[in-house]
Amino acid sequence: MVELLNFFVSHSFMLRALVVGVLISLCCALLGVSLVLKRFSMIGDGLSHVGFGALAIACAANIAPLYFSIPIVVLAAFLLLAMNEKGALKGDAAIALISTGALAVGVMVTSMTTGMNVDIYNYMFGSILAMSRGDVVLSVLLSVAVIVLFCVFYEEIFAVTFDESFAKATGTHVKAYNFLIAILTAVTIVVGMRMMGALLISSLIIFPTVTSMRVCKSFRRVVGMSVLVSVVCFVLGLVVSVKLEAPTGASVVCVNIAFLAAFALLGAVLNLPQRSKLFRFRRVLAAVPVLLLLCGAALPFFGGVSVKEAKKLSVVTTSFAPFDFARAVCGDDAEVTMLLSPGEESHTFEPTPGDLLQLEQCDVFVYGGGESDVWAKDILSSLDTSHMKIVRMMDVVELQEEQALEGMQKEAEEEEEEPYDEHVWTSVFNAQKITAAVCDAVCAADSAHAASFRARAADYTAKLQALDDAFFALAKKKQGQSFIVGDRFPFQYFMTRYGFSFYAAFPGCSAESDANPHTVGFLIDKAKAENTPVIFKVDLSNGAVANTIAAAAGKRVETLYSCHVISAEDFANGETYLTLMQRNLAALDA
Amino acid sequence: MALIECKNVSLGYEHHVVATDINFTVESGDFLCIVGENGSGKSTLVKAILGLKETYSGHLHLGDGLKKKQIGYLPQQTTAQRDFPASVAEVVLSGCLPSKTGVFYSRALRKRAEDNMEKLDILPLKSRCYRELSGGQQQRVLLARALCATEKLLLLDEPVTGLDPLVTAEFYSLISKINRSMGITVLMVSHDLSACLTLGTHILHMQNGSAFFGTVEAYRQSEFYRQFTEGGSHG
Repeated sequence: MVELLNFFVSHSFMLRALVVGVLISLCCALLGVSLVLKRFSMIGDGLSHVGFGALAIACAANIAPLYFSIPIVVLAAFLLLAMNEKGALKGDAAIALISTGALAVGVMVTSMTTGMNVDIYNYMFGSILAMSRGDVVLSVLLSVAVIVLFCVFYEEIFAVTFDESFAKATGTHVKAYNFLIAILTAVTIVVGMRMMGALLISSLIIFPTVTSMRVCKSFRRVVGMSVLVSVVCFVLGLVVSVKLEAPTGASVVCVNIAFLAAFALLGAVLNLPQRSKLFRFRRVLAAVPVLLLLCGAALPFFGGVSVKEAKKLSVVTTSFAPFDFARAVCGDDAEVTMLLSPGEESHTFEPTPGDLLQLEQCDVFVYGGGESDVWAKDILSSLDTSHMKIVRMMDVVELQEEQALEGMQKEAEEEEEEPYDEHVWTSVFNAQKITAAVCDAVCAADSAHAASFRARAADYTAKLQALDDAFFALAKKKQGQSFIVGDRFPFQYFMTRYGFSFYAAFPGCSAESDANPHTVGFLIDKAKAENTPVIFKVDLSNGAVANTIAAAAGKRVETLYSCHVISAEDFANGETYLTLMQRNLAALDA
Repeated sequence: MALIECKNVSLGYEHHVVATDINFTVESGDFLCIVGENGSGKSTLVKAILGLKETYSGHLHLGDGLKKKQIGYLPQQTTAQRDFPASVAEVVLSGCLPSKTGVFYSRALRKRAEDNMEKLDILPLKSRCYRELSGGQQQRVLLARALCATEKLLLLDEPVTGLDPLVTAEFYSLISKINRSMGITVLMVSHDLSACLTLGTHILHMQNGSAFFGTVEAYRQSEFYRQFTEGGSHG
């Protein structure tokens, strides 16, 4: 408990998430009561999709996301209300049109510009790291505005919510209040969706009200209970997300589901008809969901944040390749951790609070420094890293700019922070260099074990050398033959090191899964022309494009391992960079 | 001076005229029943009286110091209200909204709400949940709310829809009592012609733009009454 509290207080990003989250939950609950009871729940949902579209455009155009999306979403809210008012389109149809339309535009813009990168992924599912100081200020201002307006206009809001025609007839400016609620909702959604995710933010609006409606019988109590439920659920959800290392948005929604279930049960018990046999026991029965809820709520607070007390040297790595190098060098003399779980896709990875804690307390941190771990830069700058040795793999090797192969589906021009290909370890030569750098770092961090680190590194480098030679030999044998990768292409360093010739569908970091027909047609033609029997897909890919090409050209599909990630099965079987690269060797030799 | 004066008014929806040449006057203490088939413009007229709709032409005037805000309106119930979590007191009190000056309701307004609940025998239901009441009780609550909004004129839009005959009779006698003993003028839109004839002092019959207006006695003699009853279209 104390440890948990300390965790929140000592990490500025957690504190920001807590403050913004509590305030946004509060606003959502207040606005939600009115929206849900007016049958406008779907407006919240529609607006969050518009928010996503707007954020995608802002990202593409390099505009500050909030300044762009808030006016857009407010505009959409006006439009939705006006459509509802005029009856030009039935409310639900209008909302469905706008929300799916905005989503489609967002996806379109994204695919034409930056690609489905980490930023966009975060906006869909939320990121606890996304909260900046500006968000804190904005959410404080917003919640003060919502609370003040809600208190001042409480009676009017009740009247308008309960009976619009009566309120209108008695001279209340119904339209004005509707717009007020819509604007506040729009701003709340934009601020909240970056933490909760565009797909989940509307649950913050809907759940608390529906939950409190199960037991509360007056408007005032519904409002009060909604605020309480919303804030409690958020805090619990945040704690759960820290404990289970799960995304915050989904954790909060799951806690909300639990509350709804408990409240529904409680409501059913309290409303038992008098003639029911159970009526006499209703007080006892009512205690059941209440106790369940209290116990459930207390559960996440037991025990500290799960951080192993490391007596050994602690080495944290992002993806599989550096993990394996560090493992080879350290043996049993250090605790080596990989942040990416086996089977997890690297380009959409988002560190959980637990990951960050581990990172903060480690002695050596090895990361790539490219597109898939851009988060590392932000995190490192916010942590005290004076006690750490940090190895950035892209600093250790000679970098190459990502180049488009002939026929490859182009990614639209973008101002990338990092024009270089990050998959440096696909060249075994680079793997040796990285191993040496990791060895230096662990030796510096733990000089007592330096001798054994160096011995293991030397041994490992020799094995890598043999592999390097084998690839050179293969390249010589396969001279004049081209290989076809119906997938992303993270093998640029590999290709240039050994002089292989490749055709591929997408650049290395693209998360694109929809190949355009032109690219696929080109690759099918090449596959038919080349006498290679194999079309390659990349590890952990679903292989959709490779399968299409293979089927059309009458070839079979094999996997090339980038070693960026590893499947859960291979990981459990103890496969290593060496064994996976041996598979590549065999597959290319076919 | 008349409470409502309506001269040569025509009404419509989005450039589509539904009723023309509507003429009637309502004096203080009257009980005017507005009858007519669906689509004859009854609801549009109600909206025009409430000031929610512009008249196309003619002259609709509220007199006797009556302001639009001071009409006690009993609208048709919406589906959203059926599961609305609100206490009876909250709903009735919301009728005092037009008289509210500060942020909260004053003590006097709370007293007015209590008095109206008392009059309609719903004071014991005060803290009950609106959605758990019977249809008749709900209608009384809305009537109490309407009384909070007015001291002069009640406007009822098909108030007995969905009520069973016994409750309907009770509700009618309640309205009658309000009209007679409290001296509140009542305008009621209804399909229930027989009720209109027993309760009302005046009838306004709307039909394809033309309209009959007069006392109940005059209406009984009129062509419209005969048509309406023979047509069998009365509720």
